Amino acid sequence: MTADHRLPLPKDIGTVIIGGGIVGMCLAWFLAEEGAEVAVLDDGRHAGTIANAGGLHVQMQSRFMRLYPEMVPGFEQTLPFYPRAVEHWRRIAVRLDEDIELAVTGGLMVAESREQYDFLAAKCRRERQLGLEVDMLDRSALERVAPYLGPTIVGAELCPTEGKINPLLANQAVRRQALALGVVHRTETRVTGLVRSAAGFAIDTTAGSILAGRVVIAAGAGAGALSALLGRPMPVRAEPLHMNITEATQPFIKHMVQHADRQITLKQLAAGQVVIGGGWPATLVGPDAHPTVEIESLIGSLSLAQHVVPQIGALRLIRTWAGVNTSVDGRPVVGDVAGIPGLFFAIPGDAGYTLGPLTARLVADAMLGRAPEMSITDYSADRFG
Amino acid sequence: MTLRLANGGALDEILLDVEGQALAARSGESLAAALTAAGIHSFRDTKGGGSRGLFCGMGVCHDCLVRVDETDNRRACMTKVTGQHAVRRQTFPGRLPAHSDSLAPITIADLAVRKPDVLVIGGGAGGLSAAIAAAEAGAGVVLLDERAQSGGQYYKQPAEGRPRDAVADAQVDEGQRLVARARRAGVEILCNAEAWGAFAPMTIGATTPQGSLVFQPRRLIVAAGAYERGLPVPGWTLPGVMTTGAAQTLLKTDGVLAGRRILICGNGPLNLQIALELARAGATVVAVAELAEAVGVRQAGTVLRMLRHAPRLAWQGARMTVALRRRGIPVLSGRGLVRVEPYDGALRATLGRRAHRTLSPERDIVVDVVLMGYGFMPSNELLLALGCRHDFDATRGHLVTARNAQCETSVTGVYGVGDCCGLGGAKAACEEGWIAGADAARALGRSLPPAVTHEVAAARARLAQHRDFQAALWQLFAAPRWNTELAQPDTLICRCEEVPLGAIEAAMADGTPDIGEIKRRTRLGMGRCQGRYCAPLLASLLAERRGRPIDAHAFFAPRAPAKPVAIKDLVRAASAPPP
Repeated sequence: MTADHRLPLPKDIGTVIIGGGIVGMCLAWFLAEEGAEVAVLDDGRHAGTIANAGGLHVQMQSRFMRLYPEMVPGFEQTLPFYPRAVEHWRRIAVRLDEDIELAVTGGLMVAESREQYDFLAAKCRRERQLGLEVDMLDRSALERVAPYLGPTIVGAELCPTEGKINPLLANQAVRRQALALGVVHRTETRVTGLVRSAAGFAIDTTAGSILAGRVVIAAGAGAGALSALLGRPMPVRAEPLHMNITEATQPFIKHMVQHADRQITLKQLAAGQVVIGGGWPATLVGPDAHPTVEIESLIGSLSLAQHVVPQIGALRLIRTWAGVNTSVDGRPVVGDVAGIPGLFFAIPGDAGYTLGPLTARLVADAMLGRAPEMSITDYSADRFG
Repeated sequence: MTLRLANGGALDEILLDVEGQALAARSGESLAAALTAAGIHSFRDTKGGGSRGLFCGMGVCHDCLVRVDETDNRRACMTKVTGQHAVRRQTFPGRLPAHSDSLAPITIADLAVRKPDVLVIGGGAGGLSAAIAAAEAGAGVVLLDERAQSGGQYYKQPAEGRPRDAVADAQVDEGQRLVARARRAGVEILCNAEAWGAFAPMTIGATTPQGSLVFQPRRLIVAAGAYERGLPVPGWTLPGVMTTGAAQTLLKTDGVLAGRRILICGNGPLNLQIALELARAGATVVAVAELAEAVGVRQAGTVLRMLRHAPRLAWQGARMTVALRRRGIPVLSGRGLVRVEPYDGALRATLGRRAHRTLSPERDIVVDVVLMGYGFMPSNELLLALGCRHDFDATRGHLVTARNAQCETSVTGVYGVGDCCGLGGAKAACEEGWIAGADAARALGRSLPPAVTHEVAAARARLAQHRDFQAALWQLFAAPRWNTELAQPDTLICRCEEVPLGAIEAAMADGTPDIGEIKRRTRLGMGRCQGRYCAPLLASLLAERRGRPIDAHAFFAPRAPAKPVAIKDLVRAASAPPP
């Protein structure tokens, strides 16, 4: 059991997972449970591990539908993943040694005009056809379930299986499970070389070299550069996003709240802080591509937050940070790769945190030679040629 | 004996309702002063079941939160008495404010953008002189001060409405003269203005009484000052334990004694000065525990250097020591605070003799108030956010902003002045202000009037002397710079999130991750003070454990907001932007 950056890397290990975010750590846990020897390497500076906002998304996010209309078929295809992903969070939550503040209290996507309401109603109908549990609420229904919403909100789409989680607690609890099973977690370790040979994979890192029988790329937005090392470029987009958190107050926002037409996502953690995001951009600065917040996003996101939930205006902003969302083509990249035996990908589609444990489960099953609970054949990296 | 000074000014007819009890107060004083004057030290309850009161006294620590007129989480030290307020004790996390009128959504484009020649952040010694120099050279200058009155921590000004002639103090007078000169020179001083964020290359976001403003000045001078560093010992979060600076603000700004029987612990001459000020005002200062050893024959050379560089200051110091002795206030050299415990409605403080990396307990003293003054930390958040280069100074124990002889940082057009760039004292800050302000004006093509040229030349000469004097002074007060050495496993290191040393040790048990990872594992540094007290302590602890030198990356990444700021203030566009 070690995560000490100063200890030497093992020279040779069965499985190396590159990326210690929620996907990589869950996968290490699931593999180690079955007796695998696993090392997790993490660059450890600004990966998703440290920047998750903790929303559990199920309904299609209007933000992605607006941004990438060409990906809507992909979103629709992967829609069944989301309710199942929340189910996986429920499953692992009961196995963890600490309460991770998992609260499946529903998500609201609000509308401020007839047009927005109609957009949501159409989206709601389509999602129901695809098997999702969603409903439309008018203003009077909203006043009963969400009295905290501002006066301009005319209605909302409710998805009762959406929710929230405390990512700080969840990440640590999952990590403890993995470490207890002997997983080596090596932070501040960046992979600089990755070569497939007869013996397996030769991996060069900033902390030395390591040989591995199998390699899993679970590095989110870093996956593009890593797969390029193996001659398999992949169109991975790093989307640096702005996040805000307020001081704590008494619980008053039950749901995760999004907007039909505006960039806003907000939720209140169990400890009382309100986390506010919604896809406002941050920038990658300097040679380390450090995600850095912008004043435009800060003002824009907070202004919307207090417009949708007026009492947020009275709270103090405590911190902002920039996380990196990974976007490929609206669909996950999971499973093995033709022509490179021993290589696996574990990259969720959009809303990577929600999909983390499910993605890890699907990849673990594929690596263990078990039939995955959902077909992943459509999501192989082979689609990128 | 009353805790209110005769020169505090007459009590108005204002009666506060504090927990249902009527309490006389004076308009313009801080709520913290009103409560302290009534002998109330404990203001609120924490999540972990502890109590808190006034600690930093300058709006940084957020320990003194109270419910004021149904609004929770107001800082008592920064909230002025303006009427018959109802003040209540509150628990974590506080009730949701009743605020409900939302503002229409805006974007950054809706905020007024001000583009002055020079923007000065901070209205203390350095900021005022910088603003005067630039403005007297003809530059358009805006100065932002987060406080209700300019003057900063050195020139602490009496609260508004308090009779000024009652406050006979050279420091106060000097500050008053600087503020007046800045106004005469045409400096636009915005008080109660929080510069909450800095964004490269040179954008500053500020909440002001006029609304939320964006500044894109041609030159920026950051003079944000410093705040007192924390030294965690068992009991340092108890109500009644506060910084020496907090007691000085109560005294000088509001004319209120922090307590009747006071113990002062720490390191440096400021503690001696405050001991004397408190004693003169009528408090019983039972002792000053000074971590440095007594001045002996070996320091004779140092004393001579001080006499040469600043004879007036050196004599002031000597007179101070004599005055303390005359009043019977013992200065216990080589002693420090081991712990504080509640004791029969008061506090029992244990003092100890310096030993290797610790203090060996020597004796207990019962007092109402314990003051801690272990030096300062630079408020360098804005400079770091702008990407200005910083280097760690191991002797001073903090980051120092890299600057050229004109006080310009590694970012062109951004100047740093005074303690926010590394501790040097108010006198040096004042000289640096002249230099930076004049250079900023010159860089903008203004020609310096003779008065300013003269002032800058004099400032350069004096600055060298101040720096030598400071160096010699700190040789006399040389003491080990402890961080978590005096803490026990259950001693809180992070005051806000109540993270004890033991939890930090546990987070380091399976490897020694970086500071960000410890933050995520323990919540240390995630509270309202934004890690100002705990982050430097943890950075030192980690550097030692990891065997790595401290650099700018050893601390938390600089992120907006530089201070917690109400969202409604951030998104309220100025209704009528000034021309």
